[in-house]
Formats: sequence, structure tokens, C-alpha cells
Amino acid sequence: MLIYLLKRIMWMVPMLIGISLISFFIMHLAPGDITSNEAAFNPKASEESRQKLRELYNLDKPIAIQYGLWLKRIIKLDFGESFASHHRPVLWEKKDQNGNVVPGMIQKALPITLLINVITLLIIFLISILLGTTAAVFKNKIPDRLITFSVFLGFAIPGFWLALMLIYWLGVNEQILPISGLHSLDYENLSSIGKFIDLIKHLFLPVLTSCLSGLAGISLFVRNGMLEVLNKDFINTARAKGVNEKKVIYYHSLRNAILPLITIVGLSIPGLIGGSVIAESIFAIPGMGKLFYDAVLMRDFPVVMGILTIGSFLTLFGNLIADISYALADPRVRKGLM
Amino acid sequence: MNKIFFLFVFLFLISCSDNNKNYQSKNYEGKYEKHYGGTLKNAMVGEPNNLIAMIAGDSASSAIAGKIFNTLLTYDENLNLTGEVAKSWKLSSDKKTITFYLNTKMHWADSVPLTCKDIFFTWKVVTNPETRTPYASDYQLVKKAECKDDHTFIITYQEPYAPALDTWATLHILPKHKLEHEDINNTFFSRNPTGSSFYKLKEWVPGQYLSLETNENSILGKPFISKMISRIIPDLSSQFMELSAENLDFMSINPIQYKRIFPERKDLNNNYELNKELGNGYTYFGFNLQKKPFNNINIRKAIDLAINKQEIIDGVLLGLGFEITSPYKPETFWYNSNISKTNFNPDEAKRLIESEGFKLNEKNIYSRNGELLKFEILTNQNKQREMTAVLIQRRLKEIGVDVSIRVLEWASFINQYIKTGDFESVVLGWSLSLDPDQFNIWHSTQNGPGQFNFINFNNKRVDKLLERGRKELDIKKRKQIYDEFSEIIYEEKPVIFLYAGYGLNAIHKRIKGIKNPPPPAGTFHFMEKNWYIPSKFIRNEIN
Repeated sequence: MLIYLLKRIMWMVPMLIGISLISFFIMHLAPGDITSNEAAFNPKASEESRQKLRELYNLDKPIAIQYGLWLKRIIKLDFGESFASHHRPVLWEKKDQNGNVVPGMIQKALPITLLINVITLLIIFLISILLGTTAAVFKNKIPDRLITFSVFLGFAIPGFWLALMLIYWLGVNEQILPISGLHSLDYENLSSIGKFIDLIKHLFLPVLTSCLSGLAGISLFVRNGMLEVLNKDFINTARAKGVNEKKVIYYHSLRNAILPLITIVGLSIPGLIGGSVIAESIFAIPGMGKLFYDAVLMRDFPVVMGILTIGSFLTLFGNLIADISYALADPRVRKGLM
Repeated sequence: MNKIFFLFVFLFLISCSDNNKNYQSKNYEGKYEKHYGGTLKNAMVGEPNNLIAMIAGDSASSAIAGKIFNTLLTYDENLNLTGEVAKSWKLSSDKKTITFYLNTKMHWADSVPLTCKDIFFTWKVVTNPETRTPYASDYQLVKKAECKDDHTFIITYQEPYAPALDTWATLHILPKHKLEHEDINNTFFSRNPTGSSFYKLKEWVPGQYLSLETNENSILGKPFISKMISRIIPDLSSQFMELSAENLDFMSINPIQYKRIFPERKDLNNNYELNKELGNGYTYFGFNLQKKPFNNINIRKAIDLAINKQEIIDGVLLGLGFEITSPYKPETFWYNSNISKTNFNPDEAKRLIESEGFKLNEKNIYSRNGELLKFEILTNQNKQREMTAVLIQRRLKEIGVDVSIRVLEWASFINQYIKTGDFESVVLGWSLSLDPDQFNIWHSTQNGPGQFNFINFNNKRVDKLLERGRKELDIKKRKQIYDEFSEIIYEEKPVIFLYAGYGLNAIHKRIKGIKNPPPPAGTFHFMEKNWYIPSKFIRNEIN
């Protein structure tokens, strides 16, 4: 087991380098750089000045050298500074000699995105297991049909449309929820309970809209898993022994049916740090999706590369965690690794 | 994002919901006394990069920095140059030296006196090759700058430079005492500036909002409205929702909101006043003049005659724009109003094309010895420009010109097509500066990669006029120069001017002192001196 783990971790290094190499080159293949996007069509900004900027950012060097410079910094865990948001550190805050703190970009955006995604994921799993189990128990009866129909409806409705509808209804017409933003403007003056309620109010609609689209996949996954398990011999045995139906479903079947969900949780880890550009724009939430999207449009290479590197690390890490927890949860898999 | 679709959603909502049911109208009419206080709230789509405007390249940064910093000169509401930090200026007889006489008793927000040393320092910073600014070239023309005393700033140019005064109306004066030991490219000052204008930065919450409060030391006097909060809301539909819920005091709106949504909504109409002002730019249809068929003036003229500009204005801007005949703000001094516009005339267009030896082929496309009259219009992802291109395509097809359209992402558009000259025609826009100099756009030497005469316009007379215009400081003679320049451009048709759209704004009625119709300088010109919120309409304050 330990050797297996070490092997897996060792493998992550060349994989990460490979991923970063490919992302770096693809990013630089896209036409343009930061200097052609900033003040691109302002006749007061001359081409000479732009060339000068290119040199200051090392953008005039051959791409292989640029990659080398980047790799050299990243080994020391220095993610560099953004081109577009002048010198904001990509990853973590920095202090200048006077003790002023400039906040890091990922440092500010990641907790927000994580918070929303973790809540969303928890709700999705909770409701999906409930819905999936119910649907499986009532297979092909009205509750099953109703559940399948509604989760697919949630999946099919365009998220941004639904978001705007809900904002209009609950925010503008009824005025019971805030329309956009993460906090109210008087957030600082609220008591801690007030702050909590304020946050819940602001997160309600973003979480609701992203939950609706995620329910379909997982609940059907649970439903099918349950159906498979319910047809197994050991369930028949349990029933034959006279175990009550509730225990059969929630103890014997469900435990088996949700095992594969562990893999899904592992695979969701990279998704946890990637926000949705559309939802973040509509709800004015300063998360990772918008950060990445803007950085790509501005050709802000340090930010793009920073997010991609962290994202790919978390993907690999997530896979590893999923495999390990699978092994822990399922004795059959554990045996295979020994 | 897909704005048009959002708007359909809006229209749908309006038609199916009774949105006025809970609405209790409040009366904002009447006369009120001027009053200090209150908070103004607005929204912006992007977060400022850097509050040192010469280093930032984005409009959000300049918008906020403009409330914090002063310039040497400024434009009054009729767009005439006037003093700001300088109270007056004098030109030497050889026209190369400008002496600025500064106001006395000026202070920075931290009470340190503002003197000529700060202005000299700012000039040093902007011209320093290490400074990461794209705007250095105008100030590098200054051969020598000096402070005669604390309140006299003298600059000397190599040769007379007419746009000089305009350049000093855009450069924000920076405090020497805060920045002289700092690296300008990498200073905390850009997130926590000390300025001299109406407001100072109170708080900057990354990704959420910036708030400004009154600068008691403002060299222009105190603003009536004591606080401003600019929220960052990237999506325009969400901004409009916030406006509907009265959470924003003003917002710039689009023609559909102006023409269709506001008239339908009693609540919006009761709370907000609409106004329209001259926009800051125009949209044109430009040709790559080195390529066939655009090297032929008759073909360019024919294309102009075949395009119905009013139709484009009605279709794209719902009528909220106007045709222009010279590249200046209409109804302002530099605009040549004597040029009469060509009228839509497809028959004349066909005659012109046929006079060049083209004949309609079996597919109803003009051809001449196998050369088809066929080209591609390139534009970037901008709904209005895309719609414009479609209308042009349709009209040209009617006379027998085969046009295809390609829409590209901005960075690819600039770098792969415009910079390399690999395009046939473009639908694009230019913003209109207040100084008439357009050397960078039309002079034949400015056609290198990354320069702005990418259409390759080359006209000896225009070159001369542009060179003379830059050196002529007599405003009447200068006007003649640019009038002739405008005439030649309109006659030669290197581009076809399509429209200049109005800037449309909705402003909450609780704010008083707004000039409607707006002066030529626009609705927001010196709003600090004019806008106020009567005490009756000040809402629960946030401290």
C-alpha cells in the first residue's frame, strides 16, 4: 500500500510538468499578449511604448526561455504577479517595506468559490441520494417518473436564464433576497449572526441555481446503483430473513449503492476550485471562474498559468484521494492493492 | 454574454408579470435647496487595475482615478480648455514654450502643499523609460521642463506642438512626497492613493466595491454628495436588476432599455430620469486600401451609395444615433458641418460600378474579366457591429456585391488580422478625442504593424494638413486645416462613416442639479460641483 502510494505521488511530478508545458504553449499560441490588449486602440499609446512593455514583461524572449523562467519560479512556489491587475500577486498576499498588504488574487477568489461549491456539492449529494433511493424503490411508478422528470428539467433549464428569473422574482419584485454581490454594503457593521444571515441570503440564489443543474446526474447514478443492488441475491436473502424493508433499503442496499459515489467525489475536487463564469458574472461574485476567464481574455499569462497549475495539481490529488478512500471503504479493493 | 437574449427574457417578463403591483410611487418632483451629504451608488463591469491612471489601461481605473486626482488643465462644459491646477497659461512668441501659472494654497489630501515640484515630478515619471506606461510619447516631446518657482511651471517643446495643451488636460498630477522613493510600477500607492481632487479613497474591497469619501482639502472645493460607492457587477442584466430595485443611482443603458423597457415600466419611470448625450465615438466601415477592389475610388463611392445609414441607425440603435460626415463630435467646434452627406442611392452605385467595366454575371454578382466583386467584412464580438455588418451585407448583395462576414475575438482580431494587414474590410469604431489631431490614424507614415493607419490611407494633401495642424496654434487657422482634412476624407472615402450613437443614461430622480439636456462635455462633467441629494431624499446612511 505504502509503495503504491509513493509510486502514485512520484508519478504526479512528470505529469504536472507535462500539463504545465502543454498549457503554457497553448496559452502562448493564442494570438496577442497583454500589451496588445491594454490600450490597444488608443492612438495615444504608441507601438514603441508597447514594445518596451513587452521587454519589461519578458514577452519578447523565445517561448522556451519564457517557459524556463516560469518553471524556475514555480519550483520555488513563486506564482509571480499579474500583468493586468498591476502586480497583484497571483497566489498569496505580499507585504511591501511599509507593511502594506497587497492581497493575492487566488487567495481572495478561491475561498469564495470553494465555499459555494462545497455547499452546493453537499446539498446535491444529500438530495440526490434521497431522490435516487426513492426513485429506485418506486421504480417505474409515479414518484420515480416525477423525480426523473424534475431532475431533468433542472438540468435542461439554462442556468443563467433561471438565475435572472429568480433574481427578478425574489430580488426585484418581492425584495426578499439581495440581487447580486457577496455581502451587503453595511456588512462590516453587522453582528456576527447578522453577517452569517447576510451571507446565507447572498449565497442562496447562486447555490440554488447551481444545485438544480447538478441533481440529474448524481440522482440517476444513485437510482441505477440502487436498482442493481436491489436485484442482488443478498438483498433477497435479507428480505427472506425477515429484515424490515427500511433496514434493507437504507442499511443493506444504500451502503453498497453509494460506494461508486466516492469516485465521483474525488473527481469533483478539481471542479470545486473552478467557478462558473456565467453564474459569477450574473451574481457579481468575485470567484475563480471570472478570474480565469478575464485572465485568458487579457492574456494575463501568470494568472492563467497559476490557476491551471493549481487546478491540475488538485485534479491529480483528487484522483489519488478517491482511490485511497475507495480502498478504505471497500475491503475488496483494499485487498487488490496489498 | 448574450445580451440580446437577456433582453428578450426581460421583454417576456414584462409582458407576463404584473410588476407594478407592489409599487407605491414616491414623488421626487419640486425644487430643493442644495445640500451637502448623501451617498451616490453606481456599478462598473470591471474592477480597476491600478489607480495611477498613466499605468492602468482600463476605463474603470481612469473613472475612479479621475475623482481622486487633478490635471493641470481641464475642459469646461462647452469643451473649451480652462485651468484646474493651473489658473492660467501663456504661450511664448515662438510658440515652443508654455508657461503655466499655478493656483496658490493648494494641498494634497494629507495636507502637504501641492506645488510645481509635484508637476515636474509627474512629468519625470511619465517620461521615465522604466515607467510602464503606454502614454509616454506625448510628454517625451517636451525638451525641457522646469519650475521657476513653486507656482510657475515652464515647458519647452522642440517645435510648436498644437495638441500640447490637450495632453496636459489628461495627465493626473501625482504627489512627489509620496512617490519619490517608490517604484512607480510596483507601489502600494496604486491601491491607496493620495490625491488632491474632490474625493479620496475610503475603502477598496477586491472584487466587490470601492468607496470614496469627501476630500476636505480638495483644491476645487467640496463636492455636494459626500460619498460614492462603485460596486463591481460584471453582468449588465444584473446591473439593470439592481437599478430596478433602486440600488443604483445611475447607469448607462442601451437603446432597447431606453426605448422599449423604460416606457413600459411605471416604477422605473417614476424613479429614474433618462437623458441622452453625444457619444464619445463613431462606427465606420473601413477598407484595406492596398487590396482590390478598394484601391478604386469609384468602387468605394459605390459602396457608400449602396449603404443605407439611416436604416442601420434605426435597426441597430433604434434611431438613437446620427450620421456623421467628419470624424469629430457633431455640434462641436471641430466638426465640419458644411459637408453635405451622400444619400442612399443604389442605382447610382450600380452605374458607378458599371463605369469601371464590371458586369453582372449569371449569379447576379458583378465581375470584370473573371474578377468578382466579392470581399469579407471582419469585425469583433460586438452585437452592434455584427448587426451593422449584416445590414451592409444585405444592401450590397442587392446591388450585386458578394459579401461574407467573419466575427472574431478581440485579441485574435487585432493580432492576426489588423496588425498583419490580412483583412479586406472592417466594421470598427474610433473614439473621439477633444483635440482635432488625428495624425496617428490618417498619416501615411503611420501604417506599420501595430500602428493605427492600418487601412493604409495615403494622401499627400492630408499628410501635409496633418503635419501643419500639429504645429498650428492659432485656433482659427487650425479649424481651417481640419475642415479641409475632413472634406478630403469624406471625398476620398478611405472609410465610410456609419453612425455615432448617443450615450444613454438613467439617473435617479432623488439626485438634483443634473443638466438635461446635457452640455457638450456630457452628463457627468463636473457632477461633483452640480449634483446634490436634497436632505429629504437621503436614505439610511452607511458609515
